[in-house]
Amino acid sequence: MYFHIILLLLGALCNKLSISERLHEQIYSSIEGGAACFRRLNGSHQAGCSSANNGAVGVVHFVIDQTDANWLVNNASAGPYMAIVSTMMFNQVIDTFLKQPGNIAGVLLFHNSSLGIFAFSQDSKCPNEYFSGPGSTCSSTESSASVWNERGSNLMRQDIPFPIFFLPESRLDEIKKIEECFQRFNRDIDNQNGRPLCSVQMHSFMFAAVDSTVCMRRSASSALITSAKVCDPLGDHNVYYSLLPLSKDTKKQVVMVTARIDSASLFDGMSPGAASSAVGMVTLITAAATLSQMIPAGKTYDKNVLWTLFNGETFDYIGSQKVAYDMRHGEWPSVAPLGFDDVVLYLELGQIGGSLLTHMEDDDWPLNIFAPIGANNLDVVSDIVNDMNVNLKLFNMSLQLTSTHNLPPSSLHSFRRTLQDIQEEKYGKNHSLADVNLDNVMPQMVLVDHNDHYTNMYYNSALDEYSKIGFDYHNISIGNDGTFISTKDLIANGTMKRTDSQVKISRLATAVARTLYKRVVGESYTGNVTASAHLVDEMLYCFLKSQACRLLLAADYAKSGSGEENLPEKPAPLYVGVAAWPGTAPVFAGHLLALLTGTHLKANRTQCEAMDKVQYSYYWLRGWNHSGVCIQTTMNFSQAISPAFTISNYDFTSGEFSTWTESVWRELWVRVFVSAGGGGARAAGIAGALVTVMAAVVTYWLRTRARYIFVDTPTGSLVSGDAATGILRTVNC
Amino acid sequence: MDLNRLPNDKKLQLCRWYFKVGCVFLPFVWAVNAIWFFREAFLKSPFEEQKQIKKYVLLSASGALVWAVALIAWVTVFQLQRASWGATGDALSFIVPLGRA
Repeated sequence: MYFHIILLLLGALCNKLSISERLHEQIYSSIEGGAACFRRLNGSHQAGCSSANNGAVGVVHFVIDQTDANWLVNNASAGPYMAIVSTMMFNQVIDTFLKQPGNIAGVLLFHNSSLGIFAFSQDSKCPNEYFSGPGSTCSSTESSASVWNERGSNLMRQDIPFPIFFLPESRLDEIKKIEECFQRFNRDIDNQNGRPLCSVQMHSFMFAAVDSTVCMRRSASSALITSAKVCDPLGDHNVYYSLLPLSKDTKKQVVMVTARIDSASLFDGMSPGAASSAVGMVTLITAAATLSQMIPAGKTYDKNVLWTLFNGETFDYIGSQKVAYDMRHGEWPSVAPLGFDDVVLYLELGQIGGSLLTHMEDDDWPLNIFAPIGANNLDVVSDIVNDMNVNLKLFNMSLQLTSTHNLPPSSLHSFRRTLQDIQEEKYGKNHSLADVNLDNVMPQMVLVDHNDHYTNMYYNSALDEYSKIGFDYHNISIGNDGTFISTKDLIANGTMKRTDSQVKISRLATAVARTLYKRVVGESYTGNVTASAHLVDEMLYCFLKSQACRLLLAADYAKSGSGEENLPEKPAPLYVGVAAWPGTAPVFAGHLLALLTGTHLKANRTQCEAMDKVQYSYYWLRGWNHSGVCIQTTMNFSQAISPAFTISNYDFTSGEFSTWTESVWRELWVRVFVSAGGGGARAAGIAGALVTVMAAVVTYWLRTRARYIFVDTPTGSLVSGDAATGILRTVNC
Repeated sequence: MDLNRLPNDKKLQLCRWYFKVGCVFLPFVWAVNAIWFFREAFLKSPFEEQKQIKKYVLLSASGALVWAVALIAWVTVFQLQRASWGATGDALSFIVPLGRA
C-alpha cells in the first residue's frame, strides 16, 4: 500500500519536472523590446524617470481617453496603477498624471500609427533656451512668446515621479498580451478590490540624483565601500574635415559649414532623429563630398572650407561649446588652430527635414536662412543668399532670408555667446556695442526649413523616424570604384522622382557645394558635378534604417581577420551618450567623410599605418570592394565634452557651459503578472498570528504546571560528580 | 558569569574594571556594568563594598545615558539633515544612498 503511494508521488514529481518550467516563469511574463525613460541631470536639476530600487508595481489599466485618466487619478481604488497609454493620448494624459501622481505607479507607452498622431516632441518649446546667444527672444515660460518647437511638451527636462517605458510599433504584440490579461482579470473596474488583478512591474532604478554637482561628487568620492560611479558626463566626438589641408604656416581664411550629429528622446536607445539631425548631417556630408569632386586636386586657394559635425548639441550645445571654448584659447583644430577672425563665413545646416513630408507632392522644399545682419556683413550674407538662391532655382527650390538676431536653436549660439564674452571682456558690459560687433567678427547664417515654428512635429522624439521625412529606400548597388548614379540619370530612367526626399536633399547639397565653390575659387562653377541622390539614398538608409548598409560596410575599419563582421541591422543610435564610450554615429560620419573625400592611396596596410604627414590622417578602411584601402584624409575627430567637466573647480550652477550627465543604472525591464487578490495573504497572516498566540498560551500553561507534569525530574543529578561541577564552573565563568 | 558565586571584593574589582574600560569611549561597557551590578548596588542587603559598587554603577549609568543622548541626538540630526549638508553630508557618510538626495 505504502509502496504504491510513494510510486504515485514519484510519478507526479517526474511529471512536474518534465514540464521543467520554473515557478518564476509560470508567474511572470516578460515584456521585451521596451525602452525605458531614464534619468539625466544638469547643474540644477534631475530630469527623467526612475523606479524604486525594487521596481514599481501597479494594476494594469488601459487609458483610451481622458475619462480613463481622470478615473485613474481620482476614483480608482485598487491602486497604484500602471497606465497603458498610446502615443496619441500621451501628451494629454501625462499632464493629468503629473499633477496627481499619487495613484500612478508607472506608464507603459506604446505606439500604434494606425491610431493616428500628428505631433510628438518631449523637448522644450525653446530647445536649449538657457544657452542661447544674445538677441534670442524665445521663452518657454512666457505664454505670449513665439516659440520654435510649438509641440514640445518639455517632458525631457522634467523630473517625472514614476517610471515610463516605451514600446515601439514593432512590439505591439506585447500590448496585445497585456490587453488579454487586462480583459480577463481587470474588466470589472468597480469591483477590483480584493480580486486577483493583472499587474505590471517596471524596474528602472537610477543611481544618480539631485543634480550633476552631487552625482559627479559621489562618483568621484573615494569612500571605502561605495566608490561606484553614479553618473557620467554626456559627450562624444565632433567630426571635422577641411577641403584643403590645414597648416600652421599658411593661414587661410576659412568658411565653416556645420551641422549636428545627435538627436535624443526621453527613452533609452530610441533617438532616430530623422528630421531632427540626420537630414542636416547627410546634407553636409554629401555637400562636402560634392565640393571635393568639384575642386581640382592639387590646386591651392587662399580660402578653405571646414566642414564640422557637432555632437551633443541637443544637450545645451556640448560639441560646439567645446569647439568655441577651444578656439578662444587657440586650441582648435589641433593641427592649425583657428581664431574667430579667420572664419569669414559661418553657415549652419540647422533644423532641416521637417517640411519634406508636407512637400511630397511638389518639387519645392522651401528653405529659410536666418542671419543677424549688420552693416559690415551685409555684402557677404546677401552674396551667399543670392548664389544659393540661383543654384536652388535651377531645381525649382526656394530660399528666403530672414534678417534677425532671434536665431533658431543652433550651434551658432555657442559661438555668439563666446564672442559676446570676448567683447564684454574688452569693452565692459555694454550690450548694444557688443551686439553690433558680434555680427561682424564672422558673418553668420543658419539654414533651416521652417519660419517661426519648426515644421518638424517630432523634434527630438522616439517617433522621428525615416517615415517622417518620407524616406523610401531604393536599394541601388554602388559601383566597385565607388561611383554613384547621378541624380539626373536616376530621374531620367524613372528610378526616382523629383519629389523624392533623396533628390531634394541631393539638390540642396549641390547648391551648397556650388555656392561654396564660388567662395573658394572666386568664380561660378561651370562643370557638371552634382550631388547624387543615390549617395543620399544610401546614407539615409545607413543612419535611419540599418547599419548593415553598403556605405558603412565600405567605411568600416578593415579587420585583420578574413571573416566579414556583421553590423547590426538597426540604425546607429544618434543619442550622444556618455563620454566614457565612443559612439558609432560620429565614427561612421567621420569615416564616410574620409571615404568619400579622401585620397585613396596605393599602399598596403603596414605602409598605410606608417604614414605620418602632419596635415593628414590615415585610415585603413574596407573600401568599396571590401579588400581594404588606405585613405589619406584631412578628416579628424575632436572631443565633444563640455568644458564644465574639464575646467577644474568649475561651478556647475554658473550656467556658462552644458552640465548634462546621465545616471548609471543596473537593469531595465518590464514584466506582467497576475497579482493575488490579497485574501490568501491575509488568511496566512491571521493564521500565523493565531498560532503564535496559542503557542504562547500553551507555553505559559505548561510553565505554571511544570511541577505537576514533570514530577520525576531528578534535581541536582547533573552537578553531583566533582568533574561535572568543575565543568559547570568553567562554563559559568 | 554568575555574580552570586563571586565574593564581594571580586565584585567590586569587576565593577571598577568595567567602569575603567568604559572610560575609553566604550559606553556600551558602562551600560552593561550599570545593568549587571544594579541588583548588587541597590537591591542586595548591605555589605562592605556595596557603597563603592553603588558609586561605580551610578557613574556608569549616567555616563552611558549621556552617551546615549548624545548619540541619539547626532543620529537624528544626521539622518534629518544629511541631504541638506551637501558635500559635508556625503563626506560624513559611510554608505551614500543611491538614487536620492
